[in-house]
Amino acid sequence: MSEETMNEGADLSRREFLGTVTAGVAAAGVAAACVPFVSSMNPSSDVLAKATAEIDISGIAPGEEKTFPWQGKPVFVVHRTPEEIKAMESSNGGKDPEADAKRVQKPEWLVVIGICTHLGCVPNKTSSGWLCPCHGSVYDNSGRIISGPAPKNLHIPPYHFVAENKILIGKA
Amino acid sequence: MMSKIIAWVDQRFPLTSFVKHELTEYPTPRNLSYWWGFGFLAGFVLVIQIVTGIFLAMHYKPDSKLAFDSIQHIMREVNYGWLIRYLHSTGASAFFAVIYTHMARTLYYGSYRRPRELLWWTGQGLLLLMMATAFMGYLLPWGQMSYWGAQVITSLFKATPVYGEQIVTWLRGGFTVDDPTLTRFFSLHYLFPFLIFGAVIVHLVALHTVRSSNPSGINLADKDNIPFHPYFTVKDLFGLGIFMIIYMLIVFFKPDFFIEAANNIPANPMQTPAHIVPEWYFLPFYAILRSVPDLAGGVVAMAISVLIFAAMPYLDRSRITGGARYRPVYRAMFYIFVINIFVLGYVGAHPPTGTLKTVGEISTMIYFMTFLLLPFISRWEEKFVLAKGLPPAVEEMARKEIAEAEGNV
Amino acid sequence: MSKNKLFGLFVCLILTGQAHADQAQLQRGAHVAVEVCNGCHTLKYIKYSDFFKLGFTKKDVDAMRGDKPLDSPLLSQMDPQSELSMFGIVPPDLSLMAKAREGGAHYIYEMITGFYTDSKGQTANRVFPGIKMPDILMVSQADAAGKQAIDAKAKDVSAFLEWASDPQAEERITLGKYVIGYFVVLTVLLYFLKKKIWKRLG
Repeated sequence: MSEETMNEGADLSRREFLGTVTAGVAAAGVAAACVPFVSSMNPSSDVLAKATAEIDISGIAPGEEKTFPWQGKPVFVVHRTPEEIKAMESSNGGKDPEADAKRVQKPEWLVVIGICTHLGCVPNKTSSGWLCPCHGSVYDNSGRIISGPAPKNLHIPPYHFVAENKILIGKA
Repeated sequence: MMSKIIAWVDQRFPLTSFVKHELTEYPTPRNLSYWWGFGFLAGFVLVIQIVTGIFLAMHYKPDSKLAFDSIQHIMREVNYGWLIRYLHSTGASAFFAVIYTHMARTLYYGSYRRPRELLWWTGQGLLLLMMATAFMGYLLPWGQMSYWGAQVITSLFKATPVYGEQIVTWLRGGFTVDDPTLTRFFSLHYLFPFLIFGAVIVHLVALHTVRSSNPSGINLADKDNIPFHPYFTVKDLFGLGIFMIIYMLIVFFKPDFFIEAANNIPANPMQTPAHIVPEWYFLPFYAILRSVPDLAGGVVAMAISVLIFAAMPYLDRSRITGGARYRPVYRAMFYIFVINIFVLGYVGAHPPTGTLKTVGEISTMIYFMTFLLLPFISRWEEKFVLAKGLPPAVEEMARKEIAEAEGNV
Repeated sequence: MSKNKLFGLFVCLILTGQAHADQAQLQRGAHVAVEVCNGCHTLKYIKYSDFFKLGFTKKDVDAMRGDKPLDSPLLSQMDPQSELSMFGIVPPDLSLMAKAREGGAHYIYEMITGFYTDSKGQTANRVFPGIKMPDILMVSQADAAGKQAIDAKAKDVSAFLEWASDPQAEERITLGKYVIGYFVVLTVLLYFLKKKIWKRLG
């Protein structure tokens, strides 16, 4: 092998190395450039500011239900009567069994997301719980699925009591 | 696996041969300088503008009551909204800077000459589309400059004979620039970039038919053509790197450089700002408009000042190739023309009073005289240059072309 | 290579040329804005919660907002109608003022300290003749010592208004340094790659 071809070979491999490095740096740049664009489609700061909702439940009489918006979704808050609490505590629900105590923080207050776990309709309040107008799923006064196509109990949003009559939804 | 997929596609669509023919092995004159990289840059900026524009449109509200606030929403609340908006607003200026340089190169090296007339004209069409897109986009922030710029430019159509008023009202969808104007400008501002994209493809087809011109002006022998890839891909990408550094310096460190202060005041149809100016890329044409004391005359002069470039293949009657390179008089005219453009730009940015008004009028004269004198000067210069002597290849081409032309007469 | 060095120098010059106000000054300015300007002017794009970005604590912000919600914009203490009858105009929004005037924060500083008593004994303004805003910092009546205190206040509030017009500036500049650094590296790499590849042609 002459010296010249050897030099050429070394040169070629150096060029390939440089080419690979440059291509790598460029590819990393393209990937990084995607970040702001993808990120811009996430909730903006004013939307995130509405991620939690502070609600006043003082006006809800025993046996009454009130719906509050949280992140654009309906949240049902029910002031349950002692009889309802008793009935719920003695049952374990239907096809998605769960103890009532696990679904409430204070037995007299039930807080559930008002979206049917079947296909996302908003169920209507009945005396014994809820009935979904879309496909007839029936929920009890603990928001547990009793009958119908819905697979799961109504979801519980993260929330906590900030005062006797005030709930902050969106943060456990 | 990959090669199997490509083979499958190639049986049904000329993918590999297309890429080879038009990109990787596309024969390109080896002597192209960095001035030939601005077409690629323009394409890149177009992509930046389309991508940032699509993302801005996700957050922007084309409603006269919401538009200004929605821009501030983008700037303050949307994740990286400020970045996307500054990329877009600076990108508009970058686009014009790149395109004007691209045009200047074409003029300097005579790249508009036969057989590249159609290439040049599709470029002219692209420039007009770009100007319209930029103008409509500038209304969208709904600031004072946006509003009054749109008001003034739509008013220019008053100069149309007989139907002037009707056309202005039709353009605006109202008696002044208002909500209907904003919504239609938004709609068209979103549409036009895709028309530009299509026109770019036509421009490229024309380019690949006649091939790139080159600084020597002569048609190169095959041995002087090199494959586009990797030589010009890497050269163009290096140029892009330089461009990106400058572009990003403005985006991150001087992003308000191209945004007029008055455009941070919401549009007020009841009060015109003390001094309204168009964006820098329209300034020379604006100066020409103002230098003619008559509305219709000014509008016509401005329109001609943009459209006259299309006549270059016929105005330049010299048969000497290579543009300004072998033509000292044409070169001098080119530089005078460029300096004059800057003078016009300066005049356009300032109130037309006193000396500046006179300067504007003289500059406007020079602008048009350059084009009008070119047919005569170019023929005179041709004789003078041929007598003085040229590189053999250039002289041969010129003599051949002259002989052909005379044979036809 | 010298071309690249030149670019490096250019980049450094621009990066070091970016001076910005310190947080203590912005905090002082925010107090002036809330206690003085906000009496008549709205800052519609600034919310009380934005003050956290200036390093204020929850307690500071609560004191500034009173009973207004955290995500409420800084609306003027007066309603626009009574302002109109009192001043003849609705005082302009201040949240973009530093961008809406040629000269930005410097203009605002010059304007609020530009009040003087003219030959007819009337208060006038050097920068903005015919201004409808009263001499709120009492520049025209202050003695030398008073003027100094007012001057500091005016500087603080101008710096704050500049921040308010562009709260992302700091994030932008920090990110910008990385982006420029990245493109310088990439461009240098491309420069050498280009040289290497073109060498093949001889």
